[in-house]
Amino acid sequence: MRGGSLPLAAVLGATWGLVYLVTQVFADPPLGVGTTVVAGVILTLLLTLGYPSALRGPRVSRASRVSRLPRTRRGPSSGSTRTLAAVGRPMPLRSGLTADAARRTAQLLRPLLGGDAVAITDRERVLAFVGPGEDHHTVGDPPQTEATARVLAGGRTVVVRQRSKLACREPNCPLQSAVVAPLAIGKRIVGTLKVYRVYTDPPARDLVEGMAGILSLHLELAELDRERNLAADAKLDALRAQINPHFLFNILNTIASKARTDPEEARQLLLRLSDFFRYAVRQDGHFAEFGQEYFFVRTYLALEQARYGDRVRVKYDIDPQVLTAHVPVLTIQPLVENAVKHGLADKLEGGTVTLKARVDPLTRTTAIQVSDDGVGIPPAILDKITSGELGASVGVGLRNISERLETLFGERYRLDVQSTEDAGTVIDLRIPLR
Amino acid sequence: MNGDADEHDTPAEVDATVRTLRRVAVGYFVVFLVAIGGVPGLTLVLDWWSQGRLIGGMSPSFVMAAFGLYVFFFVIGLAAATLSTAVESRMLGGPDEDPTEEAEHQ
Amino acid sequence: MNTASLVVLVSLLIIVGGLALAIRPRGVSTLDFYLAGQRVGVATNASAICGDYFSAASFLGVAAAVYVSGLDGVWYATGFAAGFVPVLLFVATPLRRFGEFSIPDFLGRRLASDRVRLVAVGVVQLIILSYLVPQAVGSGITWQLLVGQGVGGLSPYVTGVIISTAAITGLVAFGGMRGTTWTQAVQFLLLLAALVWLAIAVLGSGFNYGTAVADLAAEPLVNPVNVDGQWELATTPNRLAAESPASFGEPGARYGGLGQFALIITLVMGTAGLPHVMNRYFTSPTGTAARMTTVWVLGLAGLFYALAVMLGTAARALIPTAVDEHPWLAELTVDGVLRVPEHALPVLGRIYGGEAGLGLVATGALIAVMSTIAGLLLASAASWGHDVYERHINPQATQRQAVWAGRAAVVVVSFASAGLALGLRPESLTALLPSIVATMVTWAFALAGSALTPVFILAIWWRRTTAAGAVAGMVVGALAAVAMFVAGAVIGDRGLGEMLMTPTIVAAPLAAAVTVLVSRRTQVPEDLELLWLKMHGTAADRHAMRLARLTIAGVDRQRKDRGTGDARR
Repeated sequence: MRGGSLPLAAVLGATWGLVYLVTQVFADPPLGVGTTVVAGVILTLLLTLGYPSALRGPRVSRASRVSRLPRTRRGPSSGSTRTLAAVGRPMPLRSGLTADAARRTAQLLRPLLGGDAVAITDRERVLAFVGPGEDHHTVGDPPQTEATARVLAGGRTVVVRQRSKLACREPNCPLQSAVVAPLAIGKRIVGTLKVYRVYTDPPARDLVEGMAGILSLHLELAELDRERNLAADAKLDALRAQINPHFLFNILNTIASKARTDPEEARQLLLRLSDFFRYAVRQDGHFAEFGQEYFFVRTYLALEQARYGDRVRVKYDIDPQVLTAHVPVLTIQPLVENAVKHGLADKLEGGTVTLKARVDPLTRTTAIQVSDDGVGIPPAILDKITSGELGASVGVGLRNISERLETLFGERYRLDVQSTEDAGTVIDLRIPLR
Repeated sequence: MNGDADEHDTPAEVDATVRTLRRVAVGYFVVFLVAIGGVPGLTLVLDWWSQGRLIGGMSPSFVMAAFGLYVFFFVIGLAAATLSTAVESRMLGGPDEDPTEEAEHQ
Repeated sequence: MNTASLVVLVSLLIIVGGLALAIRPRGVSTLDFYLAGQRVGVATNASAICGDYFSAASFLGVAAAVYVSGLDGVWYATGFAAGFVPVLLFVATPLRRFGEFSIPDFLGRRLASDRVRLVAVGVVQLIILSYLVPQAVGSGITWQLLVGQGVGGLSPYVTGVIISTAAITGLVAFGGMRGTTWTQAVQFLLLLAALVWLAIAVLGSGFNYGTAVADLAAEPLVNPVNVDGQWELATTPNRLAAESPASFGEPGARYGGLGQFALIITLVMGTAGLPHVMNRYFTSPTGTAARMTTVWVLGLAGLFYALAVMLGTAARALIPTAVDEHPWLAELTVDGVLRVPEHALPVLGRIYGGEAGLGLVATGALIAVMSTIAGLLLASAASWGHDVYERHINPQATQRQAVWAGRAAVVVVSFASAGLALGLRPESLTALLPSIVATMVTWAFALAGSALTPVFILAIWWRRTTAAGAVAGMVVGALAAVAMFVAGAVIGDRGLGEMLMTPTIVAAPLAAAVTVLVSRRTQVPEDLELLWLKMHGTAADRHAMRLARLTIAGVDRQRKDRGTGDARR
């Protein structure tokens, strides 16, 4: 596991060895048991507590988080390799807060809040600004007040009493004081509500906070609705794909032809097929145990293997602990299906699709990798997928998955696609461990 | 419910299960080896292991050899067995059936 | 035996009787297993395995080893118990799922080769023979102590060997040839009862484990040696620290640095290759049950050996003080220390329970011996009759002929073992090999662990194992073990010789390496996929469990219908 438990174990072992050497071999006379144990325990605690932080890397400042550069990784062989940045790049305005809605809300609120100007921002820019000063506090710019940054970071209301702290570039700006309150969905701060006054005594803090709370509630409800829709979409998508006449037709064809030569196998395939549909239909809720998703994947692959015969070979590599981890429902099978349909189906001699699943309890991550040694994805299409254009069907499936992941995990996931033409494709999914 | 259906495993599934179970078994075996190598081994390395006194005149080495290790064997045996059975039931066979049925037999 | 001990004994026997009734067999099918309740079946099977496994070595030998060597002797017990952990991790479930009847059968079918089967049979018979000899020795020693006299001018030891061997041979050969799970389980319970009784008696008389070890550790360890025909006490040298004498609570009385590990590894690897124990796994209804059975075995074995170690310590602490009150001890001891350490437990029994106590412990020992001998002889007979006779010598054999072949084998094998046991007189060897029963059993474990276990584990977990590889591995392992062992006996058991006497730590990796190397260059069996599925897939298990569950549900429904029907009437 890259950066996982194993390096920590090795480091700890080495540390104790070092402690032993220092206290027993080099020290003369050798230090007592008590001293050695205390030293060793302190070092162990420091390492264990500090390790996850070391893995996360230095805290990236909020502003620069958006512009993540595409990471290049060496592909499976020479030839045209293109690696994407994470498809799940955080996109602005994803939290249900649109400029339009913000503007209308701000206009509604202005008379109620006891202030002169009202602004609503999301994490990166101003969505709406209504009232005096709107000529230079323009929509679309990043928020100027450093108080905003503090609110976004700390999640608590900030009252600004001094004009200087407002940091407005325009010297003629009439605004003198403000109250900035956070807008949150659950624990996530998604934006701020700012109320300004042209007087030096700021607006009523409780009023602004109360209104921010109500807005947050609305945002949360909107998000829940969206989630539900996405989940329903996922279910429908899966059903659509599976009840996709082609899939069903092909499988039934295979079963029918086997019914004569090998009735036993035909019966087993029918059972698998019914297992398959029952699972797809039965899903409610967003998460399922990996063991159950794995069941779905292997049922699907058993059916495809019956159809393609030796052209589709399968390899699983599953860690025992990952079986009880919870993963988003109906996420893995579409990835595998992509690998088979687009990677292997067109390759004459067939290939192998590999599913690897690991957990790292230390960094609390579930890592799932679907790879195949098929025909790969041409770089042009790979670009289309990243940029979000509705292109090949591969793109649509991946986009749906990444949308759901974004809803469920916010920014805490990674979905990487790496592909080399004629050599294969690797899809890497990393999500928080639940 | 496929009451009268035959059960069937595909080679890929069985292969995956073997790989996972092998990992589990080797992991527990290594822990086991460390323990049974360590209890006599510590005698050669650590004085306290055979000079110290835990219960009456019994050194830590004696305590481990006379009962500690048996408890350890039972515990890792139980842990390995439950993990292996859980892995098998999740990686082979059908989806989890009716919870009431499960409760009956285990 | 005083009243208190008698009461304890009677209550223990009542408990055993109750348990025996509770687990009595109602049938043999999977369904019956479920109707009787899964836990009961697993516990019974576990008890039966213990009955097969715990021989004279476990019962008398472990206590003797602890008596003589202190902590070094405890490693015997540890090793015996630990042996089941590799069984649980690597062997139990796949073995049962593949479903043959014996180790040679399993290997032969897994690798699709008759040559493998034959070689395995050879190794298995060697192991059985080397396991039988110490059992006969143990019974001879027990007879010597229990009865004290020979029959027809023979020494008590010789009489003991002959009578017990003849008795059990007759029973096995002509009494039905069916070592049922139930009889073995009950035998184990009786054995456990005897041990528990002795432990209670000893503890009840004021024995404190901790202080006893403290007292014993305060003085150097002394044991009797025969110097020019005279027995006298000599301090045991400490092999770990040459300047100081050995002490009871510390290692070094018997093994140097290397030897400590070598013994444990030998015992740990050996259990998986013991034919009579592994054959019992085939009576589990499913692979999962086989796994759980082994967990139970680990628990029971732990309990058993913890008690045995405690009793060995108690013997060391209490016997010297008891010599004055019990004059019969004088001829068995030299200055309060037993000459033959295997007498430790029976002597304790006699001290705390008089003649009856002696009888109880001796009976326990004899039960242990006979149940193990029965298991071994059955395994041997099945092997000759089924694997060799039916398949090679006379493929058209009828059932009767095969059974007679098995009987003949039983008689021959037991004669051989008795002969060897008579050739070795324990008193002469005690000086050379303290706790002779445990030591001899170790030879059997060494052979099993070097020749069978590595090949076994590779065949189960590595697809590419081939027949040629397995044959090479078994032969190399066996030869290495025997060669090293003989070399060790010649060199004497110091330093390198110690490791040579417990050769598994070298021979097993060697056998494994050879198997891997040869397998890489040869062909795997043709229907490997099917074999692999059978061994590791749970399809058959699930099928059996589903059938059982459905039938039970059906039976329950019938019962309910009948019940409501009655109620309505």
